[in-house]
Amino acid sequence: MTIRSQLLKGILDGCVLAVIEKETVYGYELSRKLQEVGLADVSEGTIYPVLLRLQKNKLIIGKMIPSESGPNRKYYSLTESGKNALNIISEEWNQLSVPINALLLKGEDSNESK
Amino acid sequence: MRASELIEQNNQKREFLTEENEKYYSNLMIYIRTRLSLSEQQSEEVLMEMLEHLIEGQHDGKTARDIFGNDPKGYADEIISQLPPEEKRDLVKFFGQITINLIGWFLVMRSIVILLIGLTQEVDTTEYILPSIILVALILLLVTLGVKVIFALINRSAFDENTNEKMQMIKAGLYGAGGFLVIIVASYFIKDFGPSFEFPWTVSLGIGAILLLISWLMKKSLSYNPSAPY
Repeated sequence: MTIRSQLLKGILDGCVLAVIEKETVYGYELSRKLQEVGLADVSEGTIYPVLLRLQKNKLIIGKMIPSESGPNRKYYSLTESGKNALNIISEEWNQLSVPINALLLKGEDSNESK
Repeated sequence: MRASELIEQNNQKREFLTEENEKYYSNLMIYIRTRLSLSEQQSEEVLMEMLEHLIEGQHDGKTARDIFGNDPKGYADEIISQLPPEEKRDLVKFFGQITINLIGWFLVMRSIVILLIGLTQEVDTTEYILPSIILVALILLLVTLGVKVIFALINRSAFDENTNEKMQMIKAGLYGAGGFLVIIVASYFIKDFGPSFEFPWTVSLGIGAILLLISWLMKKSLSYNPSAPY
C-alpha cells in the first residue's frame, strides 16, 4: 500500500461524509465527486465498504429507489449523528493539519537545501 | 425493494455486462451470497449498487478490475466484514418456513406412497409419534447440514480458477446420496415404540397440503428468497 493510500484510508470516512452532507448522492456519483475534487487515488470500489460501515454506524442512511427501466440507485443522506461525526472529524482535521503542514512543509524545504 | 425483487433484477441486469466483467462480478456475487449468516437485504442492496456501478463504468470504458481492484477475493472479504448479520427474527422465520415446507412434503409423499402400495395390498397406516418425530428431526438436520456444506463448497471455489465443476457436482451428489442412505437406514432400524395413532392417507394429504399452503404464504410475506442462490 502506498503512503498516500494509507493516509487516505484514515480520512476517507470524513471525505465521504462531507460529500454526502452537500447533497444526497448514489455510489457512482459519490466516486465521481471524490475524483473531481482531486482524490484520484480512491479506487472506485473502495467506497462501498466505507458506505456499509457508515450505514452500520448509523451515520448515513441509504434508500434504494427502484425504477422500471433505468438503474436502481441507493441514495445516501446524513443522519443527525452523521452530522455530528462530520463536525468532529473536521475539527480534528483542522487541529492536525496546521501543525503537520508546518512540520512537513519545513521538511520539504530542508530536503531541497541538501 | 425486497431482496427477492433485487435478485430478479440483478439476474436481468447482469446481461448488460461484457463477458470479462460478468465473470468478475458473478464470482464476487456468489462469494457474498453464499455467506448465509449475512443480512440478505443488505447483501442484495450492495450487490445491486456494485452492479449498477459496473454497468455505468462500462459505458465509460472501465473494467471490473479498474473499479474493484485486482484482488476480487480481498475486496469481497472487505465488503463481507462490513455487512450486518441477518436478524435473528428473520432467521427464525426462515427456518420455520423451511421446516413447515419439509413436513408438508413429507406428509404429502407419505399419503402418495400409502395410496400406491394400497393398490396391491393392505397397508398399515398406524403412525408411531416418537419414531416419526425422530425421523423428521433427522431429515431437517441433514437438510440444514447439506445446505451449509454445499454453500461452503460454492463459497470456497468462487475465486478458484481451477475449480473442477464435475468434482463439485460429485461431492454434492455424494452428500445427497449419503444423507438419503442415513434416512433409509434410520427408518429401517428405529423400532416402533411409544404411543401411536391411526393416520390414514387422506388426513395425511390434507394436513400436508395445508402446511404447504402455510409455508407458501410465509415465503410470500418474507423478504427472503429461499430459492437457489443464483
